[in-house]
Amino acid sequence: MSVAVMKTKTETALVDGFGEIADTLPGGGSVKSARAAALARFAGNGLPHRRIEEWKYTDLKGLMKEALPVVVDGESKTTIADVIVAMGAIGRLEVPRFVLVNGHYRKELSNLDGLNGVSVAPFAQALSSDDAAAALELREEDRGSDAVLALNSAYATDGAVIDVASGSNVDAPLLVVHVRAGPTPRRSVGRNQIRVGEGAAITIVEMFVAVPGSAADGQMNTATEVQVGAGATVDHVKVTTDLGQVTHLANWLVDMHGNATYRAFQYTAGVGLARNQVRATFKGEGVKLDISGAFLARNSEHIDTTLFVDHAVPEGESRELFKGVLDDNARGIFQGKVVVRPDAQKTDGKQMAQALMLSETCEFDSKPELEIYADDVVCGHGSTSAAIDEDLLFYLRARGIPLDEARALLIQSFIGEAIEKVQHEGVREALMIEAEAWLAARSKTNK
Amino acid sequence: MLEIKNLHVKIADEDAEILKGIDLVVPQGEVHAIMGPNGSGKSTLAYVIAGREDYEVTDGDILWNGNSILDMDPDERAAKGVFLAFQYPMEIPGVAGLTFLRTATNAVRKKRGQDELTTPQFMKLVKEKAASLNIDVDMLKRPVNVGFSGGEKKRSEILQMAMLDPSLCVLDETDSGLDIDALRIVSDGVNALRGPDRAMLVITHYQRLLNHIVPDKVHVLAHGKIRKSGGKELALELEKSGYAEFQKDAA
Repeated sequence: MSVAVMKTKTETALVDGFGEIADTLPGGGSVKSARAAALARFAGNGLPHRRIEEWKYTDLKGLMKEALPVVVDGESKTTIADVIVAMGAIGRLEVPRFVLVNGHYRKELSNLDGLNGVSVAPFAQALSSDDAAAALELREEDRGSDAVLALNSAYATDGAVIDVASGSNVDAPLLVVHVRAGPTPRRSVGRNQIRVGEGAAITIVEMFVAVPGSAADGQMNTATEVQVGAGATVDHVKVTTDLGQVTHLANWLVDMHGNATYRAFQYTAGVGLARNQVRATFKGEGVKLDISGAFLARNSEHIDTTLFVDHAVPEGESRELFKGVLDDNARGIFQGKVVVRPDAQKTDGKQMAQALMLSETCEFDSKPELEIYADDVVCGHGSTSAAIDEDLLFYLRARGIPLDEARALLIQSFIGEAIEKVQHEGVREALMIEAEAWLAARSKTNK
Repeated sequence: MLEIKNLHVKIADEDAEILKGIDLVVPQGEVHAIMGPNGSGKSTLAYVIAGREDYEVTDGDILWNGNSILDMDPDERAAKGVFLAFQYPMEIPGVAGLTFLRTATNAVRKKRGQDELTTPQFMKLVKEKAASLNIDVDMLKRPVNVGFSGGEKKRSEILQMAMLDPSLCVLDETDSGLDIDALRIVSDGVNALRGPDRAMLVITHYQRLLNHIVPDKVHVLAHGKIRKSGGKELALELEKSGYAEFQKDAA
């Protein structure tokens, strides 16, 4: 679009701030020029705004009031105990974890014991390798106009690079924990890369959490690139419970190869402004994709889920189920674009987005977009938004369950249907506990 | 003792009266049947006793053991011993049957001043009650009533009834959707709960159920009023003559 728009204060700070820290960001000469090129792409477009269709409901230009300073070296006071507490119910699982604090890998807080067939390395380290610029470069289709991704390439400090060897069957889930800590509001920019070899199986849980007592304000720009090898099975979970007035911008860029199974689940609760984008591309036939999620929002929180599912080849299956609970003046957004390319015959796609509206003033915007260019496909979508079902409420109360408890049980059951999608039992149960805690906080404040 | 006195009920926000002055007494230890044609107000009566808010009581009263229950919330009534077995039990996706049963059982126990059941105590009780109703406990690990057949849903209602230990049982068309075997199991379950401290109101369209749950009294409800009361033989008469007689003189 060639509409000239004035640069906001935030955009100016994002562009000008780069020069000040460019020398301290990881990577040598080729990386530096790749970063500069990415920043130039951002500078050309600025932050996305509501006149760009994909950002219609999340006017980042208007909503992002400032650019917080990027942390150039890790904050060192955070302890293992802090990390465990920040992780909530999942912190109780004794499983391998790769921990980053304010965007920097912290070896002494991590524990990667017992991971067979998996190598995990810091992204900052990958940037110092010979083909480092390639490590920073995104897929062709993602480089284009996405301003958030351009900012990620320009500023990325660290992240996890995970390689799963072909045929490895990894039992324990691997946690990649992005922790926000410290009293000063900061911006973190993280990049993760996951490469799962042919026929391998793994569960990876990305977490975005804050140590209690951290600054209320914070910014996160995170991008994860995923390569799911032929016949591999990947369960990829994202848990964003970074309570506070944070701005959380996330991208998952996923390629799925022949007969792979990729199950994604995103849990988002208590985040001031969140934009979760997933771009999943079918690269081989017979792929099964399941992207699901649960989002819980109150006060003036704003949680946006934007999917782009690209059936580029035949015989792919895609399932999307997103459920949201909205209270007060919260806003939930679901955009689900599914493209079935002309060659992608026998595609089977189903999409559902549902919101439970607990207040008169919350808002749910749901925009399914099916673009189907093949003629032998089965594709469907649905969307609902409703208050708590009075008939069900009466049923529970007739069984002696008091009103508040009955409401909580019904909200749990609604969100539970989405959480059920999580395959790993420990993670699934922990997420259910998180959701219950969110609801308990709700009934407390309503009294 | 359940005493219903001159009960007038309409749907909230609408004018038409559904119940037009019901008088009914069910003493402790007795089972009374309410029979009547479709649309006579049978289910409305059941819902109003249980405390559904969509209905408005415009006149009269419902007393349970001498106290009016009209101002009580449904959960308070349940704690006082009122139980409604629904004609169409609800499906609750996402809530496991056992979680639901335990939450409900302990909620009423707490309000009745009884100790809440521990997990082993609860499991022992539920296994015992489920076995007598031919319910597989594994079925209760699934979400409440989801994917259950008509018969399974009704058995699950009776299991809830047995767990909550009510003193007033209202069964709304419990026979609908049941085949002969399921009808026998459900009836045996209900009969097992008959006792000197329990009153029961069995609402049905057909006489069939009353072969299994033999009532002490039968009342005919048509056009919002009790038109006739009698012994169990009244049900047999109705089976022969139908409800035509009561529908005629409604005006």
